[in-house]
Amino acid sequence: MRRAVLAITGLAASTTALVVLKGSPGASHVAQDLPADQASVAPGPRLTPGPGDSTTGPASVRPSAEPTTSRTSGTKTSTTAKATAAPKTTTSAPKTTTTRTVTGPVVSYKYGSLQVRITLSGTRIVDATGLGMPQSGGSAMRSDAVQAQYSGTSGEVVAKQSANLNTVSGATYTSNAYKQSLQAAIDKA
Amino acid sequence: MTYQETYAGRRSGTTSPHGGRSAARMSPPPALPRRGPAGRRTLTALFWLGLVAAVLPWWLDTPAGSLAGTADALTAAGRITGLVAGYLLLVQVLMMSRLGALERWLGGERLSRLHRDIGATLLVAVLAHLSLIVVAYAGLEKKSILGEVGTLLSDYEDMVSAFVAAGIMVAVGFTAIRAVRRLMPYELWYHLHLFSYAVLLLGYGHQFSNGAQLFESGPVRTGWIAAYLLVLAALIWGRVVAPLRFNLRHRLRVADVVAESPDTISIYLTGRRLNQIDLLGGQYFRWRFLNPGCWWQSHPFSLSAAGNDRWLRLTVKVVGSHTADLRDLEPGTRVWAEGPSGTFTAAHRTRERALLIAGGSGIAPLRAMLEELPAGAALIYRARTPADVLMHRELDWLAQARHTSVWYVIGSRNDSGPRQVMSPEGLRRLVPDVTRRDVYLCGPSGLVDEAVRVLRQAGVPRRQIHLATFEL
Repeated sequence: MRRAVLAITGLAASTTALVVLKGSPGASHVAQDLPADQASVAPGPRLTPGPGDSTTGPASVRPSAEPTTSRTSGTKTSTTAKATAAPKTTTSAPKTTTTRTVTGPVVSYKYGSLQVRITLSGTRIVDATGLGMPQSGGSAMRSDAVQAQYSGTSGEVVAKQSANLNTVSGATYTSNAYKQSLQAAIDKA
Repeated sequence: MTYQETYAGRRSGTTSPHGGRSAARMSPPPALPRRGPAGRRTLTALFWLGLVAAVLPWWLDTPAGSLAGTADALTAAGRITGLVAGYLLLVQVLMMSRLGALERWLGGERLSRLHRDIGATLLVAVLAHLSLIVVAYAGLEKKSILGEVGTLLSDYEDMVSAFVAAGIMVAVGFTAIRAVRRLMPYELWYHLHLFSYAVLLLGYGHQFSNGAQLFESGPVRTGWIAAYLLVLAALIWGRVVAPLRFNLRHRLRVADVVAESPDTISIYLTGRRLNQIDLLGGQYFRWRFLNPGCWWQSHPFSLSAAGNDRWLRLTVKVVGSHTADLRDLEPGTRVWAEGPSGTFTAAHRTRERALLIAGGSGIAPLRAMLEELPAGAALIYRARTPADVLMHRELDWLAQARHTSVWYVIGSRNDSGPRQVMSPEGLRRLVPDVTRRDVYLCGPSGLVDEAVRVLRQAGVPRRQIHLATFEL
């Protein structure tokens, strides 16, 4: 029974630690390197920690490596500050001369609000992403489904180069809001 | 009454004219080689690896700094606890799958302790997941808690069954509390506990229709489904295929029922290819005696003799209605056995020498183990009266054949003799090198608990103490 109490305490502590580590907005860069170890160490007290820790070692390398590239392009490079951020993110480095980003207006809809940001190389849209999309429960699913179909360098926006997109099934409101903000962004560009 | 004057006294090296029943070949088999803790460590490592793998998708999917408000943080915590709960549920079922590797590497005793501890954690994780998600969504959608529960039940897929699953889990967890459990008959408790499988089924849907990490097809979803299929396969293998194979292969039947003492019987079994059973002394099977009165009950009993190619023997104390029925078993009755299970064996020792402490009918597995321990073992046999001492002829024979010291300590727990032996000083006087031995304990829980306390006081490390108790 003592072990169960330890395990429950460990669960509460590690869940809190994970949320706090992900949640701290300022320290996003620090947080990405640190929590990888933390995630594997935090549940430690639950059982005999010896072998568990050593094996989680290699697994903890991945989370720190992967998110840094995707995350910096997602949240860090906001509407301005393109040139300064470029050396860090290797993907955008070669085309810094002609790319620019345009952000559409915030559109409110049934489940929340969103805005679309597009990246253009000359007049061609090379990337698109929805910002501030609701991230709770069923709304999150709709957000994710819409993001998956429309956004990204190989999404429908880049493919069609217009706001005339197929509606994502099961996410009509989200799709429409996305298209509305996208159309405005294209008009602005 | 001091231990020197107790019944039969020290029996080391005593010659017995009859020798009791010889348990195996006449030349004693060589002592079993030790098995390291590699198997257990592998399983522990796999458990932690799985836990990390279960939470990792959330970690990768969540941008750093994206949890701005309280509601976001609560949602995130709800998702983590949900993933942990989903994983622990699979671990719980897997641990009860009777998979041979688990039963032999971890042992039934450790498995049931882990099952209880992880079960408590799982229940807390599920309740945390449920309340965190409800509170977080209510905050996001600016509804009351009850209103949000209504929304979840009506608007979200598979949530009704998920709530039912949570309810069943709470009920199962409640009845597993020791005090509550004692109030109901074992069979009722057991069948209620079987409803846990429904949790697996009812909780399945909502993870995929609503789980932020799982609803999209991709490696995470595939992996999660694969984990379910693996557990299901383990369940079918451990509970159906392996026992079926064992029983078709060995076809065990009752050969004889022998009274060892007024309230203890030994059941001899014969069958085919008994020499091919991979059996260690001290292990147990779950037995089902296929006659009209007993076929529906399955009970774990240890074998009371090491493996040999002619017969198996289990020794049972008559305490309940089922064990009373066993006295009337007819020779020829078919027996369905599941096993062998358990890490209470000579192979799991950490040192070369061992001290065995038996209480009453707890001698059975120790008696089997004695045949496989290296020379120089010691046995302390506690019994209330001389009549409660079982198989003492066999023990004398083994004491001689395997150079084992045997002490019979007779009397009630409060008599001065037993009290003197069951103290750190008393143990050290009998077995001066007790801290450098593995200690195997089997007997009534009162005796076992007391012995563990005394052994720890005498300085025996915890990992050198091996217990055989089925009680949780």
